[in-house]
Amino acid sequence: MKTVILILVSLLLSTAWSDIAWATGISIDAGLTPPQNRWILRSQVRYMKRDHDPTPMQREMTSYLFPVVVAYGLRSDLTVMMRQIVRRNEMSMITGNSSQSGFADLLLMTKFRMLRINLPGYTLGVAPTIGLEMPIGAEAFSSNTWDLRLGCFVSGRIREWGFDCNLAYAWNGMIKTAGSNLDPGHEFSLEAALGVQIGLGKEALLAVAPVLETSYRRTRADVADGQKVNNTGESVFLLSPGIKLTRSSLIWEFLAQFPVWQKQEGEQLERAAALLAGVRFMY
Amino acid sequence: MRIASAWPAPAEFMMLLLLIGLLGCSAPATDFSQFEQEGSEVRVYEVFGMDCPGCHGGLEKLVNAIPGIRTSKANWEKQRLHVVLQPETQVDDSAIHDAIKRANFTPGKRIR
Repeated sequence: MKTVILILVSLLLSTAWSDIAWATGISIDAGLTPPQNRWILRSQVRYMKRDHDPTPMQREMTSYLFPVVVAYGLRSDLTVMMRQIVRRNEMSMITGNSSQSGFADLLLMTKFRMLRINLPGYTLGVAPTIGLEMPIGAEAFSSNTWDLRLGCFVSGRIREWGFDCNLAYAWNGMIKTAGSNLDPGHEFSLEAALGVQIGLGKEALLAVAPVLETSYRRTRADVADGQKVNNTGESVFLLSPGIKLTRSSLIWEFLAQFPVWQKQEGEQLERAAALLAGVRFMY
Repeated sequence: MRIASAWPAPAEFMMLLLLIGLLGCSAPATDFSQFEQEGSEVRVYEVFGMDCPGCHGGLEKLVNAIPGIRTSKANWEKQRLHVVLQPETQVDDSAIHDAIKRANFTPGKRIR
């Protein structure tokens, strides 16, 4: 009963904070595969904004994302995951406003335990991932291509300290749908995170973990008929302080993401700071 | 609207932390001597690889599924797993070690 109340409180808090949040997520345990037969339900609210229009149109775009991830420890060395995002974009410019809402593409992913070493006070885990993004989302948010996502997570623990490193590559447009002549730009990202786990209470049933993440992401420009498509492609370096609170089977996470450097191709809007609030329930 | 104006007020954030802290710290310590008085054997194992309270549930779920186990309780900070057996039941250490491994942790020595 207490767990049910906690879940409801978490969801209510996520909803109440829905106007503040965003980002890709606190990934401080990504290289450590969950136990066999473990269910993980993860939900977030993300708030993102793009502004500083280089054209005189005074464009701005605000995005709200509600990703839901369901993961299951099929075996101790194999995790299967599914992610769906509900998204809302609000655009404004000098000539008026518009908005779009709908489902994004569905991502199916597996994570495999390549290495796991547990010693007193030390843990190291390496877990590669492979995923497929299926173009079943709403027209406004679908890539209209089948995209392959490859990644490798490395997580380490030295007593209460934890580090995480994630290398990811997205082969967007691996399989095109009929009638599409666009080659969407591939994506590359390198992320690193550092956190410290502080146990609270007599049996340390609550833990608070301040986290600092850094991310470099590069998206190549789209190509159509052999020509680079204007106003596509970007490189961005992000610095993200956050906090993670863990209590038994629940994790709350909050993150602010600041683009400290970015290069937008053409006349694209710049990324502004973004916020995320999330909750994870594990059973 | 600028991002800065959308941040929650510090008071709201502190109240949230306080709420979570109260929920987290209010759980009473488990009294294993009570189980022993009821005729249950209580064992204690070292477990390496747990790094937060979120690890407890996955391990306890696997251990509790072993026939003959009454309950179990993990502690990530002390790297310990308490296992309570059903009265007059025998459970092999290897079965518990296997559950610890399937939770992606590493069993150490049996302390008790």
